Amino acid sequence: MSSTKIDRRNFLKVLGLGGAGAALAGCDMPSYATLEEGEEQVFSYLAPEEYVIPGIGVWYASTCLQCPAGCGVHGRVREGRALKLEGNPNTAVNRGKLCQMGQAALQTHYNPDRIAKPRIGAKEVTWAQALAFIKAKSTGTPAWLTGAISGHQGVLMDAHLNASGGGKHYGVEIVNAQAWRSACADTIGDAQPDLHIDKARSMVSFGADVLGTWISPVKFMADYGEFRAAPRGVLTVIEPAMTLSGANADHWVAARPGSEAAVALGVANALATEYSVSTSALPTGVADAIFTMTPERVRELSGVDTRTLSRIAGTLMSNSPSLVIGDGSYENAVAAMALNLMLGNIGATITPGADLVPADLAMRDGSTKALANFAKNAQSGDIQAAFISGANPVFTAPDGLNMKDALAKIELKVAIAMFEDETTQFCDVVLPLASPLEDWGTHAPPLGAARGEIHVQQPLMEKLHPEALGLGDILLGLAQDAGAAGLDDFEDYYGYLRTAISAMIGTGQEAAWQDVLQAGKVQAPATQRSFTANGSLTINVPESKAPGKGELILITTARQGLYDGRHANLPWLQEAPDQISKAVWDSWAEIHPTTAARLGLKDGDYVTITSADGALTTRIFLYKGVHPDAIAVPMGQGHTHYGRYASSVGVNPLNLLGADTDARTGEVSNTTTVHVQATGDNRYLVRLMDIDRQYGRKLTATISADQQRRNQSNKQGGA
Amino acid sequence: MSAQQSLAHKHLTYEQAKDIDENIEWAKINTDVLRSMENPRRGYWVAMFISVALFAVMIYAEVYQYQFGMGPAALNTSHMWDLYISTFVFWIGMSHSGTLLSAILHLVHADWRKPIYRFAEAMTTFSLLTAGIFPVIHLGRVWNFYWVMPYMSDRGLWPNFRSPLIWDAFAISAYLTSSVLFLYIGMIPDLAICRDNAEGWRKKLYTWLSLGWRGDDAQWRNFRFTYLMIACFLIPLAVSVHSIVSMDFSMSIMPGWHVTTFPPYFVAGALYSGCAAIITLFILLRYFFKFEHFMTMPILDKVCKLTFVIAMVWTYLNLVEFASVWYGHDIPSKEVLLAKASGPYSPFFWSMMLFGSILPFALLSPWVRRNMYVLFFVSVFLNVGMWLERWMIVTPTLSMGHHPQAFNTMWPGWVEWAMVGGSFGWFGMLFLVFVKVFPSVSMYEVKEMVYHRKRTVYEDVDEMMDLHSGVPGPSSAPASQTTGGA
Amino acid sequence: MPSLLGNIFKGWAHYSKGVEEGGHHDYEHMFAMVIDLDRCTGCNACSTACYAENNLPVVGEDKFGARQAMHWMRVERYFDEPDMDKIAAAEETDTQSRGASFLPMMCQHCNAAPCEPVCPVGATYHTLDGLNAQVYNRCIGSRYCANNCPFRVRYFNFYDTAESWPAPMDQQLNPDLSVRSKGVMEKCTMCIQRTRAARDTAKREGRALIDGDIQTACQQTCPTSAIVFGDLLDETSAVAKIWKRQQVKLGTYKQNKENPDLRGYRIFEELNVDAKVLYLERVREV
Repeated sequence: MSSTKIDRRNFLKVLGLGGAGAALAGCDMPSYATLEEGEEQVFSYLAPEEYVIPGIGVWYASTCLQCPAGCGVHGRVREGRALKLEGNPNTAVNRGKLCQMGQAALQTHYNPDRIAKPRIGAKEVTWAQALAFIKAKSTGTPAWLTGAISGHQGVLMDAHLNASGGGKHYGVEIVNAQAWRSACADTIGDAQPDLHIDKARSMVSFGADVLGTWISPVKFMADYGEFRAAPRGVLTVIEPAMTLSGANADHWVAARPGSEAAVALGVANALATEYSVSTSALPTGVADAIFTMTPERVRELSGVDTRTLSRIAGTLMSNSPSLVIGDGSYENAVAAMALNLMLGNIGATITPGADLVPADLAMRDGSTKALANFAKNAQSGDIQAAFISGANPVFTAPDGLNMKDALAKIELKVAIAMFEDETTQFCDVVLPLASPLEDWGTHAPPLGAARGEIHVQQPLMEKLHPEALGLGDILLGLAQDAGAAGLDDFEDYYGYLRTAISAMIGTGQEAAWQDVLQAGKVQAPATQRSFTANGSLTINVPESKAPGKGELILITTARQGLYDGRHANLPWLQEAPDQISKAVWDSWAEIHPTTAARLGLKDGDYVTITSADGALTTRIFLYKGVHPDAIAVPMGQGHTHYGRYASSVGVNPLNLLGADTDARTGEVSNTTTVHVQATGDNRYLVRLMDIDRQYGRKLTATISADQQRRNQSNKQGGA
Repeated sequence: MSAQQSLAHKHLTYEQAKDIDENIEWAKINTDVLRSMENPRRGYWVAMFISVALFAVMIYAEVYQYQFGMGPAALNTSHMWDLYISTFVFWIGMSHSGTLLSAILHLVHADWRKPIYRFAEAMTTFSLLTAGIFPVIHLGRVWNFYWVMPYMSDRGLWPNFRSPLIWDAFAISAYLTSSVLFLYIGMIPDLAICRDNAEGWRKKLYTWLSLGWRGDDAQWRNFRFTYLMIACFLIPLAVSVHSIVSMDFSMSIMPGWHVTTFPPYFVAGALYSGCAAIITLFILLRYFFKFEHFMTMPILDKVCKLTFVIAMVWTYLNLVEFASVWYGHDIPSKEVLLAKASGPYSPFFWSMMLFGSILPFALLSPWVRRNMYVLFFVSVFLNVGMWLERWMIVTPTLSMGHHPQAFNTMWPGWVEWAMVGGSFGWFGMLFLVFVKVFPSVSMYEVKEMVYHRKRTVYEDVDEMMDLHSGVPGPSSAPASQTTGGA
Repeated sequence: MPSLLGNIFKGWAHYSKGVEEGGHHDYEHMFAMVIDLDRCTGCNACSTACYAENNLPVVGEDKFGARQAMHWMRVERYFDEPDMDKIAAAEETDTQSRGASFLPMMCQHCNAAPCEPVCPVGATYHTLDGLNAQVYNRCIGSRYCANNCPFRVRYFNFYDTAESWPAPMDQQLNPDLSVRSKGVMEKCTMCIQRTRAARDTAKREGRALIDGDIQTACQQTCPTSAIVFGDLLDETSAVAKIWKRQQVKLGTYKQNKENPDLRGYRIFEELNVDAKVLYLERVREV
């Protein structure tokens, strides 16, 4: 780790000279371009900075932006090139760990399909021309459509919107925890409580992919490691299709899509009736819902039988403290919180979050409600100018929202993006965005606020494309142009950030600033929230009916990998086998073997999946980790315009979803009823492995938890 | 009693020639064989064209592979070896034909080998030259193939002597050298005959090659001794070569390869495919060069019977291998055996059993042994069976293995097939050139067969000389017309 | 000249010591790993980190389907748990009642590696660190080593890989190790470039290696800390402690554990390859 002081400005000037020097070193075949022929480019470092030793990497702290979790990273830089990312050990969020999406951030940065120059329509222009065009066409209030955003970028965005006449910000994330947030707010008065998986002895998840894509997966996985260490915790997952969390469950339960709430209430019912757990801590409407959710009703709604409910209840009772989480629908999340309240987890494994004292730095969560609202408002002409960055609504919106029509109604659409995608095709102006490894920023990670931790993002190297600008710089420029107050002194985002952070740490000294940069984070003051009970809350468990004849319920699942499709253009992640199906470079539809047999399908058969809003054709993949009434198509593939690695690969199930939104949260549902029809084609789905059994070899073995406890208590060994 | 009659009372010994026509003169032997080396007719050129074409395809495939890597050969992480290695083993096996006929049968004085061993030895040499292509082209970095040779490298690096592939390199080089030597030395008297009857470039060639052979007593004595010594040396070398090649597999830990019986099994298979190839070439040469007098039916008969015996030995060793796997505890090996018998490669496995173990029974039928057309196809299919056997050794094991994640069925790509076909083209080219430049029947040894038959023993050498040097009159009838024990 | 021939004959008695007697190396380190299958979530971060660290080429769908991919570290997924059937009555339901089992598999750096003796040119050998090294420059691509590996963790460059890194992706390549050309075998090296760098640093600082100086890419990124890497010869290292606790010893294929129910095991141990990756059995609550 670099422990010397660095001068950022000079550092930036010096970087980038060594960029092209990494010629491929083949073994001994002669290369066809030699130095003598003048075609091989070698750059020498005549006068590097004093701390740079050519050949030895220097590590810089920054933040990963591959998903909204905002983990801290350390980037290894050699000769002016970022080579490798690791987790930042100093951050409380990910504690030195990084997931595969974070590792692949290098390919986001070095991607050959990055936008290099601004364009208006099909023509490449200069920044001056682009900004002039934007200024000319900016009549009316602008709107910002982004992903989850936090930190000072959010502050500047607000400044721009306010100075432009009060436009709206639409924060869109297809993969989100909105149901959980609403439920937490409504039951314990805190939308973002802190979760302590490492303190739990059992964890039950109703449809929340806690290890895969939920809120802050690396943090949860790090906590999960402790959870499994002695004394070992038990994981139960109830969901319609197996996610990464379900793949690690001691006990996995298939529930009909949309019926997880029924199961959760059923478990609560079992606790109340079999184990006489008190429901006095619950809001009255919720307690009522629990008592009306008899085991028979649970079976009818979800297909889960009484024995399973008892088993889950028993696990919760014998392994205390527990932690129950739920997501997907509001009722499901409320039921999960109800279980926490009943089991006394509040205050043990669920503790209050904190509000950052600079409140405008807090995370503005993304949601699909914002997506629906954006479409609605655009349709009704309320949006005259839209700035889109970090979101791809044309790709992610259900067809029922008519996103393309909505966008057509907006006069000025400005995309600030690294890659051409389905949405930039519809935009009037496309501005090249610097990659996260080239940019400045601050980010308030979802679960870091509890510790007042704000992650700092700094460039690891010079920009690969000189005309790309960082988001902060663009926001600052736009805000300044719109006449936002107090920003005129800053010539760039770096200056703005430095001033802002210096204000936060109380000193403008260089040494203190360097400390912040080296730590990769700044401690902001935060006030702890406290829980408030809610006396009354009505929830209506929706009727989740079994699908009709010839119909199945489609669910779209997000994977830690391609996520919501944003990483489909990264070859490492395309080639990384999906964790459960082990498929690569394609889409598939997961169907239960009995369902497939009933429909006359076999593995690899192509089917057309038709919903009320659209259709797609893909191959099926048979395995038992899917509810028999469901067909699960992972989201992420099916791009039409997203670079060479993503275009024409797989299918996009998001377009098949309807525009129905949840009554309580406004979230778009990720399930819909579909009709499945074989097309007659069959082709092998490319996978890492064709087998799922060990053929009698001892490859992965299992011991029972009882035996493990005996091992540990005998002190004869065991880890 | 006349002088003749008194002679008749002297010892007369006959050895009835069973395998060859009785009345062949030595001159006829010469002319027949030399005629076969005359300018070729259209059929020859057609055969040559086909061989060259196949070889050209192989060159193209190799250039393609050199450029793009081993990927187009359809090799993958599970199947790191495929047709290159199996065809390599096949050609090494084929090379045992000459050794068997030349060396082994020479030691046991089986005279019927004499008309046919020349082309068999040629087949040995050319099989080795063909086989030698494959260890080179199957390498990922072909241009460094010479690193397997122990030479004084400036880095002090030697090859890894623990590796069976290095043993291969030594064994095959030694065997090739010895076979070439054996073939060449055995051919010297014949080359002298060619020299005496040739003109132009041939005369120069044969003069140079025959090393001044005069055919006198001292040279013949040296010759016989040398020939015998090389034969004795060559037999254990041949056995060891194929044993070593088999150790490429048996020294591995892969199920289906790690089998103790592989060395004798491979040697038996080699002798088998060599014999079958001898039958094939026998029929072809006999037909095209009209060698009916030398490559007679009785000899063919004997070759067929020998082939059958070796086929049964091979079958036995095959069944021994299956039995030891079937009754053993090694689960992966059993899986491989079952995969061979019932998996995706099973048609080839059962074809191998059919051609290798069932078809040889056809050789028991005298009708088959006399029918050239049927015998030709039988011998070709016997060799097809043996090629399939080599493929079924290599690929099913690699399609299974210890780790189930690697289970994978693979079919060879066009590059591999091109190389395999091309190797037959290369062999064909070499052999076709051989039959036109060198005598494909050993003239002096056939003469020995005839000579032995005609040999009579006289106590008085002068009388013998009189008898044979004068103009025969009605009273001095040739000894052959007097019966033994008048 | 004497030194050239000396290579062959020197130390034959030393060389011919079997693995049960500690082998013929004078080991300076004995790098080994422990992978806790109960902590492993199968997230695949280790595999992607390995791609990033070791210049692994992406081969695309067709070649992946032809099984010509280059994933040095692969995470396998199994659904069967034969041991559980002994403990709990097999619940023959239609749906999956448990999760899957994940197995990160990479070169086990066997002390008695079957791949080492069979390379014709000696391109793979055992280092004094206890690692199985692959010398790219020496490899002529005979692929015998890959055939002999029971774990199938050796990967061959069937193609040239320049197109895996269209500019500017080639700037990400790690200059600490080469990009392999076609015709060369490669496999997990346990990040030997990091090992060497750490040893150099320790040497420069005049101290011995401490546990934690070297972190392999997979270990460093694993979110659940399921992978532990270290030196077995250093008794204070985490790896050595776990091996000791699990009562697993090197140099034998039959472990005599006082408690045979301990979680630690090696894969294909009966083949006597003396693997150096210890797996801890997955635990299931019944």
